[in-house]
Amino acid sequence: MAVKRPGRLIAEVVTVVIAGIVAFPLYWMLLSAVKPAGEIQSASPKPWTLHPSFDSFSRVLTVSGFGRYFVNSLLVALVVVALSLLLSFLSAVALTRFRFRGRTVLLVMTLVAQMVPVEALTIPLFFLMRSLGGAVPALGLNELGSLVLVHLAFSLPFAIWMLRGFVAAVPVELEEAAKLDGASRMRFTWQILFPLVAPGLVAVSVLAFIHAWNDFLFAKTFIVSKTENQTLPQAILVFFKPEDTDWGAVMASSTLMTIPVLVFFVLVQRRLVSGMAGAVKG
Amino acid sequence: MRLLPFVAGLALLAGCAPTQSAPAGGGGDDKTGTVRVWLFDEANRAPKDAAVKEAITEFKAAHAGVEVDVQWVPVEGRADKFSGAFNDPANAPDVAEFGNTDVSSYAATGALADLTGDLAAWPEGKDLIPTVLDTAKSGGQTYGLPWYTGIRALYYRTDVFTELGLKPPSTLSELTDTARRIRAAKPDLYGISVGGKYTYAMLPFLWANGGELAQEQGGKWTSTVTGEQAKSGVTQYANLLKDDICPPAQCANLTGTQSVTAFAGGKAGMTIGGDFNRKAVEQGAVKGKYAVVPIPGTTAGSIAPAFAGGNLLGVFKASKHRSLALEFVELLGGAKYQEKMYTAMGNLPTLSSVQQKLAANEEFLKPFVDTLKAGTKFVPATPAWSKIDSQNVLPTAVQQIATGGKDPSAALADAAAAMDKAFG
Amino acid sequence: MVTLQEAPSVTAPARRPRRKGDGRAAALYLAPAGILLAALLAYPIYQLVLISFYDYGQPQAAGNAPLVFLGFANYADLLSQAQFWTVLGKTVGFAAACVAGSLVVGTGLAVLASRVRSLPRMLLFLAALGAWSTPAIAGSYVWLFLFDTDFGLVNEVLSGIGLPFEHHSWTFGTLGAFGLVAAEVIWCSFPFVLVTMYAGIKGVPDEVLEAASLDGASVWRTTWTIVLPMVRPLLMIATVQSIIWDFKVFTQIYVMTNGGGVAGRNLVLNVYAYQQAFAGQEYGLGSAIGVVMTLLLLSVTGLYVRAQRRSAAWL
Repeated sequence: MAVKRPGRLIAEVVTVVIAGIVAFPLYWMLLSAVKPAGEIQSASPKPWTLHPSFDSFSRVLTVSGFGRYFVNSLLVALVVVALSLLLSFLSAVALTRFRFRGRTVLLVMTLVAQMVPVEALTIPLFFLMRSLGGAVPALGLNELGSLVLVHLAFSLPFAIWMLRGFVAAVPVELEEAAKLDGASRMRFTWQILFPLVAPGLVAVSVLAFIHAWNDFLFAKTFIVSKTENQTLPQAILVFFKPEDTDWGAVMASSTLMTIPVLVFFVLVQRRLVSGMAGAVKG
Repeated sequence: MRLLPFVAGLALLAGCAPTQSAPAGGGGDDKTGTVRVWLFDEANRAPKDAAVKEAITEFKAAHAGVEVDVQWVPVEGRADKFSGAFNDPANAPDVAEFGNTDVSSYAATGALADLTGDLAAWPEGKDLIPTVLDTAKSGGQTYGLPWYTGIRALYYRTDVFTELGLKPPSTLSELTDTARRIRAAKPDLYGISVGGKYTYAMLPFLWANGGELAQEQGGKWTSTVTGEQAKSGVTQYANLLKDDICPPAQCANLTGTQSVTAFAGGKAGMTIGGDFNRKAVEQGAVKGKYAVVPIPGTTAGSIAPAFAGGNLLGVFKASKHRSLALEFVELLGGAKYQEKMYTAMGNLPTLSSVQQKLAANEEFLKPFVDTLKAGTKFVPATPAWSKIDSQNVLPTAVQQIATGGKDPSAALADAAAAMDKAFG
Repeated sequence: MVTLQEAPSVTAPARRPRRKGDGRAAALYLAPAGILLAALLAYPIYQLVLISFYDYGQPQAAGNAPLVFLGFANYADLLSQAQFWTVLGKTVGFAAACVAGSLVVGTGLAVLASRVRSLPRMLLFLAALGAWSTPAIAGSYVWLFLFDTDFGLVNEVLSGIGLPFEHHSWTFGTLGAFGLVAAEVIWCSFPFVLVTMYAGIKGVPDEVLEAASLDGASVWRTTWTIVLPMVRPLLMIATVQSIIWDFKVFTQIYVMTNGGGVAGRNLVLNVYAYQQAFAGQEYGLGSAIGVVMTLLLLSVTGLYVRAQRRSAAWL
């Protein structure tokens, strides 16, 4: 795009300044995590600290089971991502490329499913998981499987919504050509269509990851008596003691929670951008 | 044609009902196995853990083939854990620690075992302070062994008082005056740091003026906060949230913890804090510069009735190890471990002999023990109370009065209406 | 010649002939997701509606008290409370501000990002992604710290440069508190809009932009009259999603206004539902509020989509 040079320079300066402002709260979070206890809530807060200490981090990391909770969260998030990709892809293909009745209704329903305030569903889901656990133990209460199921269910609507546009963007001629070459529908779908919608898959995986990773509500509802299956957000809760909140530890654990998501994001960010674009085509 | 799905839907609705759990079945009385215990977690758990581990060792030595598995429940997240236990008895522990304000709503789920007889038969049971034991009751039955209690009193800055030539207030109106004078002389300080959300600090004012929250007649509760005495008590408290003492802009939304934090940080001349706040205050900027007296009543020399907070140890009805659970509760709740818990956590014991022994040695405990002796009160022992609490009925009333949003009669009338609605 | 006003449309399906066995293949492909969604979404939503017609609390859930059918009593109770309507009004206003804010900031930054070289753009994106990945609770507490009355950096800086912000309480005034929370919500939601709109802008063919600049259109005009209409479908998706998310905000309000502000004047619907119902285990009333919220959201998004219908056959 032909932009005049000084104009571009100003724009770039503005961009960097804005980036700094946006990143400042994150910086503050990290800073509070390394400030010694007396400095966090002091009458004259400084945007730096002369005595950085990893005390808060060590308090967080030595909370019994922290490592285990981290792994639990990661496991749930990754399984949810993998399954979301699979299921939403299949559904998106069905909804876009096959003609059948009720298609519009289903699409609308996936939108409605996102509107229900999730807190209201915890009790029915609790009982559902309990019954499910009777049939398939790994999917019942107190098991990570129940968390996988529920996060999958809540991230699918948006995932299907997003992938639909992508799948629709792949020209029909491609499929016709493949058919002429003797490829079955199955082969076409997996060997040709799937790779073509890669950016969309990336977008779906990022959102599914965030959703599963940050979840607090379902983990605390379903994981009751088996604390070894707790997830990371629950581990942070212990620092919110009513009479004596440990702010340093709260900030340190928040930092630790943010990092994996950020890493995931950075790894996929280029694909993410094209993923968002493709979502609407068609 | 479009009517068909609608009719089908109605038929489906009519024929179905929401899922319920099967009620907690009778448990069992195995003499071996694992006893599951839920205790409240602390940010610094080590001292409590050590004391509990000692008790477990003693318990295991006395009972062969028995293991004790302790799970630490964060206080802020306890509601869901306990809901999970109530909705699925298979998840329930054998023993649990819970707050006395939760007793009535927990008892209403039918999940807790009635310990009235057991506590009466317990030798150390006679030593339990009666008013504290009352907080463990619901509908006349006792659902837990009071493990420790928390009482609030008036913390004040000895250096500020000396400098301004003040003495600790002996009546509530003196308290207001003293607070005003502190702020007038030192505008950076709050006269007293209290908050709109600090209900347990407001209650002594309400009670000292002769008011009551609600009264019960034949099992039905009615709110009495619109009474004249209740009104003057609440208004007296709300008047502390004024610009000349603790400005509403800063104080209207403060909770108990935040009020104490402000005092500990050196921003207030006085505060209302609990015996359990000692550590926080000691770690703050006011270390060595404060003292504690009981919250005064309306007449000189009287003490305002304090709210008797505290935690209990209860047994779940669905427990498969009834007697073992009960014995563990009695062990942890006995004199020996109550004393250890005081040393570890600073928790005020519920057995009067232990209390007296500790008060004799610890100057700090005196005002709290005096307050306890003078008489404590509690919130209405009905499940509706937790609803009233979560709806913030009383804090809203206090805040309306403090910010001038509503006059006391209107604000309290609203509160009474909300309370009566919850009482049913 | 490229028609500029016509946004990409779904024409592919219309051209595809109906194939035999489409229904069956579709069923197979949809089965896994379908079963999961039916079991974990449709069934609980059905239970939700059911529960809203009963007096259902913790004792009922635990099986210790009988179910009492109330018909529409929960709804009548809810709709007759004056506070419900006040909170509803505030929620709509608050959500509208957040949506507008996220859209303006996100789109504006997307336009900016498309005009700069890759290093500044990378920095902006990284910062935005950082904001996006912060869990709501962490973000809320950090913002609360920064804007704290006595210990906050913002007050210190502002009073340092001479403005009267010493001990200013950002969370006391109704509008002030909503403003602060809205700022935090916009901070963590604009990245979604940014990434989406940036992708859309990038997707505008270069020939179109060159033709416009050859015709003498300024950068600003090009953006406003050509680029934005072309990315309208994306904007619509971003808007609908933002509306849904911002209407249901809970954590930020709960944490930053200490549970709804002074005398509950900063309550939004989700926090109101929590305080009135879920915190006291009144699931019947809570479910009724949930149903009402869903219906409200459905109407709002329905109206919005209908208004946008003519631009893109997006369905």
